[in-house]
Parts: sequence; structure tokens; C-alpha cells
Amino acid sequence: MAQQPLPSSVQPTTDMYGGDEVSALVLDPGYSTTRAGYAGEDRPKQVVPSFYGKINYDNGTRDIFGDEVIYPRANFERPNYMNRDSVVEDWDAATRLWEHVLIKRLQPARATPAIRNGLNDRGKNDENGDVDMGEGIEEQEEGEKPLAESPLLVTEAPWNTTKNREKAIEIAMESWGAPAFWLNKTPVLAAFAAGKSTALVVDVGCANASVVAVHDGMVLKRSIQRSPVAGSWLSGQIRSMWDSSDPKVEVVPTFMVENKKPVEAGQPAEARLKKFDFVVPESFRAFEEERLLTEFKESVVEVWRGPGKFQGPNEDFVKSQVGRVFEMPDGYNQMWREQRFKVAEGMWDETAAYPPLGGGEEGRVQKGQTIPALIKASLEGVDADLRANLVGNIVVTGASTLLNGFNDRLHMELTAMYPGLRIKIHAAGLSSERRFGAWIGGSILASLGTFHQMWISKKEYEENGAGIVEKRCK
Amino acid sequence: MTSHDVRDVLNLPSDHSAGPRPAKKQKISGPRPNLKGLAREVQSLGGDNPIAIVPEEAVFKKRRIANRKPAARWELRGFTNSARGDDGALLLRHWRRKADLDPNHDAGQDGETQMTDGVVDGDKPPAEVIEDSAFAKYNVQVSVPQYSEEQYHSNLQNNDWTKEETDYLMQLVKDFDLRWPLIWDRYDYSPRPIDGEGVNGSEMAVVPARTPRTMEDLKARYYEVAAKMMAVQKAVQYMTGPEFQLYEIMQNFNAAQETARKEFALERMNRSKDEAREEESLLLEIKRILARTERFNEERRELYNRLDFQTTDSDITQFRGSAGLQSLLQNLMNVDKSKKRKSIMAPGEGPSPQSAVPGSAVSETAPNNRRESIAASVTGHRDSTAGTPATPVEPAAPAADKKKKGAQPVEKRNLSEQEKQIYGLSHHERLGSGPTFRYEKINKLYSHKSGQQQMRITNALAELDIPPRLAMPTALVTQQFEKLWTNVTSLVDLRKVSDRLDADIKVEEAKKAERDKKNKPAGETTEKEKDGTGAEKEKDKAAEMGTKDGESSKDKEGEAAAGEEKAKAGGDSNQGGDGAADDGSAPPGAADGAAGSPAKPKGGEADGDKDKEKEKEKTPRPGSSGGHKRSASVLSTTSDKSSKRQKK
Ligand SMILES: Nc1ncnc2c1ncn2[C@@H]1O[C@H](COP(=O)(O)OP(=O)(O)OP(=O)(O)O)[C@@H](O)[C@H]1O
Ligand SMILES: [Mg+2]
Repeated sequence: MAQQPLPSSVQPTTDMYGGDEVSALVLDPGYSTTRAGYAGEDRPKQVVPSFYGKINYDNGTRDIFGDEVIYPRANFERPNYMNRDSVVEDWDAATRLWEHVLIKRLQPARATPAIRNGLNDRGKNDENGDVDMGEGIEEQEEGEKPLAESPLLVTEAPWNTTKNREKAIEIAMESWGAPAFWLNKTPVLAAFAAGKSTALVVDVGCANASVVAVHDGMVLKRSIQRSPVAGSWLSGQIRSMWDSSDPKVEVVPTFMVENKKPVEAGQPAEARLKKFDFVVPESFRAFEEERLLTEFKESVVEVWRGPGKFQGPNEDFVKSQVGRVFEMPDGYNQMWREQRFKVAEGMWDETAAYPPLGGGEEGRVQKGQTIPALIKASLEGVDADLRANLVGNIVVTGASTLLNGFNDRLHMELTAMYPGLRIKIHAAGLSSERRFGAWIGGSILASLGTFHQMWISKKEYEENGAGIVEKRCK
Repeated sequence: MTSHDVRDVLNLPSDHSAGPRPAKKQKISGPRPNLKGLAREVQSLGGDNPIAIVPEEAVFKKRRIANRKPAARWELRGFTNSARGDDGALLLRHWRRKADLDPNHDAGQDGETQMTDGVVDGDKPPAEVIEDSAFAKYNVQVSVPQYSEEQYHSNLQNNDWTKEETDYLMQLVKDFDLRWPLIWDRYDYSPRPIDGEGVNGSEMAVVPARTPRTMEDLKARYYEVAAKMMAVQKAVQYMTGPEFQLYEIMQNFNAAQETARKEFALERMNRSKDEAREEESLLLEIKRILARTERFNEERRELYNRLDFQTTDSDITQFRGSAGLQSLLQNLMNVDKSKKRKSIMAPGEGPSPQSAVPGSAVSETAPNNRRESIAASVTGHRDSTAGTPATPVEPAAPAADKKKKGAQPVEKRNLSEQEKQIYGLSHHERLGSGPTFRYEKINKLYSHKSGQQQMRITNALAELDIPPRLAMPTALVTQQFEKLWTNVTSLVDLRKVSDRLDADIKVEEAKKAERDKKNKPAGETTEKEKDGTGAEKEKDKAAEMGTKDGESSKDKEGEAAAGEEKAKAGGDSNQGGDGAADDGSAPPGAADGAAGSPAKPKGGEADGDKDKEKEKEKTPRPGSSGGHKRSASVLSTTSDKSSKRQKK
């Protein structure tokens, strides 16, 4: 920590930063990861994949959450509790995963009441009355809900459904006994994290890229635009590219490699693969492959910054330049030149995208799905007076915007689209701020003193039912 | 970590450990610098001349300066937020410094609470009052017009809007705190089916077509309702200024204009790159042209000023001497210098248009101001010698001013008459330096008058029940007063002339009587004619009149004179807008009025020179009778005059 923390004897004055922390929890479920932590902190304490682990036994299933379990087992599936719309699909799994991060990981361990901690047990065969008493207390303890101390702020996609929203408050209030609850849309929070209450938020995450105008801390519904041209689509592009590459590149995730020998660039890999005496479930393998693809995105893929599109002379120019070498887990390595630009070009120019691997039309980028098209459409859904201001306050968030050159390209496309306007892009320099934009915004919001009047309290929930979330969290 | 620290953390009294610790500390920090290991050895090698070694600072090991006081105690304290409006149903908790209680008692209690951490709230009921959040005060709500059923029906009916939809709009406005983009964004009114039994036959029920509303529609309706309800609650004439302004703004909301404006804005946004560039260059070009015309006007104005200066400078006596000439030269040099400085600055504006835009604005205004002040001081000086304080008589200056005004609107925002009144803005040809009181302006009028005249004017005003010092000199009042004042002065002047005439007549009569006496003994006609041509004429005229029409014609003449006076007063007041009584121009008018009188040449000479005028005023006065002086009203003057003529 760069700054000297306040000495413990000094109480922070409220007028200093407008904060008033009430140990609220912030939960930001995304398609790739679920993030959770205490409001007022600068990054989530818990970041777990939304692809949770599930082992199917004959007599039931066991869930494994968190990042730790990366070796395969028989019947070890990695399903996602969210769907491709970035909204919760499997509520049972969601509840369990959220409980894992919010309660098991983030709540302080509670001391067992003296009567149950065993230290005072004089002998098992004591009077019955003693045992009864213990049980009575246990019941009482059970009655105290796990989140009774912490208000909870949950983020949601701007297109979240009413049913889903009501479900979220139900779980928070009834299963966890949260004293207060709030649902907020991710673009608003991302804008807050950038210090703006009015902004055009460009969020390129995993399953969805979205462009949403935020006015004065609220989403403008008519401006909501989204498309699947995001992280997982990009992974698909890389797969297509590898597949169509001259020596076809095999996707071999790390867990499959037992050992490898270094090979020359472009030469087939010499590696011994692990043998498993069970079938490695498809979802497990897909998840591991995705990790490899993310690594490739981080280190190789780049967005063509302009001028112009990535085609013709631009492509030829890049071909003549030094590329980047990437070594696969099995030792295969190759220098990637123009391809590393080409995979991301579909984000900007639908004609440049690779056809999806399985063939078929559904994975293809449509005309209106590129990021410039989303921005244009989004601005068209906004009052004319706001547009210039929005273009001057563009907030870029989501981990896929960390692609090299993304912001430069975005700026170029926007200047081409709106030559008369002042364009300003705000993108956090810190990669963690870009990845956790929505969570950080939630962290700021929930620790603001003025926010406390917004919370939906338990009492309000009890009086109005789950429908209150629609009325209050607009 | 020492035992002290542990005690500190646990809030145990540190009395026992207080003894040994300081001693230990002294041993460490006392005799030698905190060098360790090899460094200390090396240091000791140096002997008497110690080697300079920068001791390595191990910050993380630095001991916290032990605080003798027990550690600060904090508690999770519940608070409510009154802005929620739920009577404290939500009790949130934050960490707050615990108020310092009795330390002994506290220490024991603290240990207890630590033991039973989980139930810390259970056994200690919150006896103290629950505080309200410090942020509750930031909760501000907009007030949305309220209306009852009847009020709606009597005032707010609109063919385009049902009451339900209006209610819906008002609710949205309240929900979104008048943030129109949001209101429009969320506006999703679906009219209820008109059929009463919508439950079973919902598909059959007629659903009125949903009218898509633009933001302007919504605003127009809201402002209409708000303005009408405002007027219902408080009649328009009782509204305070700001209220009325708001009312007017809301009433004058023009949806069509707004829509057009937005379309225009959109078009501007969708310009292509070339169009944008072209527009930019055109704008630059315009600015450059404007700057050039400005400069041109500036120069022309200065030229006019100069021409002006030479033609109207009637009093050149002060430049007769060599010292006077010297100062004149100095003056001219100064003016020239300021012009040169400008012309040096001017070329820099040409070639670099980007920098010229802000630059020219600055460099243009600065010399402008200076020029103005020079011009003002020059003309001001001239004016004071000429006796016309602020009215520019010369034709050139207004022309130049007009030209200047023609160029100015580009920079200045044009205000409508109404706006000018609101802001109390008025245009003046030139302004004196510094602020002045309005009544001083009136005093200034007097200062150019002789004591006698001042007295006459005050008397006249007193007769009209007007205090010499205005009780409430607002701009309008002073303006009116000035008008009145000029009228009064012109009358007084007329009186003066008539007095003079009287005196002359008397003198002539006396002369005649003397001559008659002389002539009786010796009849010399030639001399008589030579001496009293004026008197002769006067007499002849009077005789003519007398014989022609008798009394009635004389009355007519009197009326004519009065009419003339009025016309002249009107003419004066036209000029009088400049805030100065036209002292110098009054005598010629008066002289015209009394055509054929011997006083005429004198009055004509008086034109333009106040000092001379004063002197001349003094000379005839002793002769004028005191009886006439007293009455100063228009009627009495003319009647005096006519009666005198009648006498003749
Ligand atoms: N440095 C990087 N460069 C490029 N892409 C990255 C980088 N790091 C992560 N990604 C990709 O970003 C995606 C995850 O983004 P993010 O965490 O914002 O999504 P999410 O919020 O969980 O999903 P969504 O918003 O769609 O619900 C993954 O597809 C990952 O491959
Ligand atoms: Mg996201």
C-alpha cells in the first residue's frame, strides 16, 4: 500500500471521501469468473471461475468451487451456472457457488458457542437435559442467517430478466438473511469505477460485448446493445485460425502433457501425453483449453490499430514484420505474424472474421455485431442532446479489452464515424481495474454514505415481496 | 513483538512493563549509532576519523513508538438513515471510535466482550440513541406538480393526453427526478383497454393505439401542467420574480423549436470528415474577416476622431504660446505612438489564423479601450470648454460610433429591449470615468449656471413642488427631471431675454424722453434717427400692431411665442437624452423668439461659449427689475411680455 493508512485512533471524517462503510459485500457474477469481496476494497478478494467443478458419483454429486481443482478425474464436469447471456441459468449451482465465496470464504469464522465446542464436555453420558440444551442452541444458531451482518450488492447484466432479479433477492433475503440488498447493472458500476456517472460503457467480457449509455447513474434502456463478439468468440476465432493454419495446430491443454522436448519452430511437437484410465469429460477439457486460449490472447493476439482496416497492404506490411512466438504446452511453437491481428479483426469488420469451426452460420459475425456498429446503434437510441457528451465519455471495461491495441482501434473507428465530435476514451490502465470494473464500481457504490438510503431493507422485502426489486432497482 | 505490544493489543494495563522497557531502549539507542555487523567493524577501523558509512535503513524493523495510552477502542455501532423514510427499519452498522469511558471499568468489560464475540450485541442492549446517518441530509427530492381530480378537469384537459397518461408522466418525472433523458428512455405507457371487463376478454378489448412520445412531447406536456398548476396555486400577478420567470419559461416552451434544434444538432454530428473540415476552415475565415473589418473600423474611427479634433477645437488661445504648442505636439505624439503600437501588433494577426483567433480578440480590445479613453478624455476636455457636458454636437463622432456599432454585434450578444430593461442596460456614446451618483449628474447641470440662474431654476421647481434634490433618483426619474429641467432653463433664459428687452426699452424710452426735451428747444431729426434705429423699429412695429389688431393680435403673438418655446423645449429634450441641459443652444432659440429686438446680436454671440455668456448675463441683470424675476412659470412670462407690449 503506497499510502500511509490512517492511524487506528483516528476516525475517518465523512467529508473526506464520502464513504461510510457498513461491511457490505459485493458480488459480480460474470460468464467467465465470479467476483466477490467487501465493499470499500480496491479489488475483489474472491475470484472464482463461473465454470464450477462438479463430480458425478453414482449416488449424487459433489461440487468443487474455486480455482484449485485443476487435475482431471472421472466424471469431473465443469459446467457454468451462467448462460451465454451472462445471466444466471442454474440457480441451485449459483446459490452454492455464491455461498462458497460470500459465506465460506468471506465471512469471519465464528467461534462455536462454549456449550458446543466440546471443551466443557465432561462425558458423553451426561444428563439428557444438557444435550437438549445444546440442541436448542444449535437450532437457535441455525436460525441466525449466515449473512445477517452484511448488506449485499449484486451486479447484473443490463438485460437481466425480472424473474432472475427476483430470484436473486429471494436468495439473499431468505436463504442468507441479508439485512439489505441491492441489484445494480454492470455498465453503471463500470462507469462509477471510472469516476463517471454519465458515460457510454463499452464492455467486452467473455460471453458478451455490450455498449450501454449510462446517464446520471442509470442505464438508458433504449441504448442497450450487445453481441457475442467477445472473449469466447475470440477463442473460437483462434481455434479456427489454428485449425486452418498450415501445419494444423493441435490444442493440447497443459494437464494432458506429461513431458515435452524442445522443438524447432514449426516442427511437430515431441511430447508424451498423459494417459487417463477414464474418459476426460468434454467440459473439463474445454475449460482447460480456454485457459490456454486466454494465454494466447494475452501474449500474442493484437488488434490492428489502423490506419484503415486490416487488409491488403496493411496485412502485407505485417507479414514482413517480426511476429510473436508462442509455445504450446506440448512444445510446438511458431511465430505468429499477420494471423495474430486477423483473429481480432472480426470485432471491427465482420467480413474479416474467420468462419466458425464447426461450419454453420450461427457463430458467424453479423453486420451489426461489430463493436463500432454496436456503438452506433447504441447512440441512436439516445436523445440527440446526449450523444456528443457520451462520445466524449467512453468507458472501456471487461477483460477482453485488454487486447493490445484495442483502445487505439476503438478511437480510430470512432473518429472515422464521428469526425466532428470530441472523442475521449477512458480505459483504466491497471489490468485489474479493467477486469474487475463492475465489481470495483459496486465496491465504491456500496461504501458510499449516501448510498445507504437506497438499499432494499429486509423489512421492505418482507412487506412487498420479491417484486420490490423491479420497483427500486431501476 | 514485545510483551508490551501484546499488552497493548489486549488492552491490559502496561504498568508492570513500564519499568524495564525504557531502560532497555536506552541501552540500544544511547551510545552508538545503529550500525550493525560488518558495518560497525569497518567503522571502528577508522578510529579517530570515522569513515562515512551510510547506515542501511531497515524500515520494516523500525519499532513503533510505543503509545503509553491504551489502544483506541472501536465499536460496531448501528445507525439509521432518515432519508430512507422507513422509520429506521434498516439498521446498518459501521465502525466508530468508542467514546472514552472510565478506563478501569472499560478494560474489564472489553475482555468480556472479546470472549463472547459472536453475541456482542445480544448481551449489551443499545441503550444510547441510534444516530442518524450524516449523509441523510443529501437527500433532495424534486417537487412535481400535484393536482386533484377537479383541478385536472378544469385546467389540464388536453386532447392528446388522457389523465392516466398524464399521471403516469408525473410519476415518471418524480421517479427520475426530472432527468428527461431517463424519463424518455423509460417512458412506456400502454393505455389500459377501454373495455371495462378486460379480464376474460382481454384480446377482444379495444386497446387504444399507443402514441409514441418524443421527448419534446413529454416536456411540453409536463411544462404545460406545471405552469398551469403554478398559476392555479398562485395568481400570476402575485408571483415573485424568479417564480414568474420560471412560469414564463415553462409557458413558452416550444416543442417544435426544440425538435428542430435537435435535428440540427444531429446533422452537425453526422457531418462527414470533409464537411467538418470545411466548416472549420470557413469559421476561421469568418473570424479573420471580422478581425480585419474591426481593425479597419478602428482606424477609420480614429481618423474621424482626428478630423473632428481639429475642426471643433474652437478655443486655440491656449496653443498660442510656445508652451501651448509644445504640449499640443506632445499630445499628438502620444496619439501617434499608440497608433503605431497597434500597427506593429496588427501584422502578426494575419498569417497564423489558429493563434489569431484568441490573440486578435485580446490585442484588438486592448488598444480599442485605450483609444476610447483617449478619445473620451479629448472630447471631454473640449466639451467642458464648450459648455456642453456630454452632448456631442459634432456630426462626425456619432457617425463613427454608428459604424462601430455596426461591427460590434458580432462580438456582443444582441439583447432585446426587454432584456435590456431587465439587466438595466443602456448604451451611451461615452461614459465618464468611474461610477457616479445620479443626483450628481443633476448637480452638474446646475454647476454650469450662474448663481442667479440657479436660483431662478430652483424657484421654478419649487413652484412645481419638486424638491431640488430628488428623493428617488432612478434612471427614469432623473431622465424626466432632466427633461423638465431643460424646459425650465429655457424658460428662464427666455425670461432673461425679455428682461433685457424691457431694460432696453426703458433705456430707449428714457433716451427718447431726453431727446424730446432737447428737441423741443432745437429740432434735430437726423441724430435721433441715427441713435435709436433699433428703438425706432421697435416702436414702429409696436405701433403697427397696435393699430392693426389691437389687443387680440397681441395675445396671438404671445401665444405664438409660447408655441415657439414649446417647440424649442421639445427639441432640447430630444438632445437632452444625453443627460445634459443645452445651455449654449438656448440663447439662439430665445433670440429667435424675440426677433427684431436689439438683444439679438448679443444672444447670437453667446452661442457656444459659456463664460462669455455668463459675463453678458451679468451686465444686463442690474438693470432688470426684481419684480419680474420672481415669477417663473410659462404663463406668467408670456403674459408679462405681452402685457409689456400692450403697454407700448
Ligand atoms: N489479457 C487479456 N487479453 C485478452 N483477453 C483476455 C485477457 N484476459 C482475459 N481475457 C478474456 O476475457 C474474458 C473474460 O472477461 P471478463 O472477466 O470481463 O468477462 P465476464 O465479465 O466474466 O463475462 P461477461 O461480462 O461476458 O459475463 C475471457 O474470455 C478471457 O479469455
Ligand atoms: Mg462482465
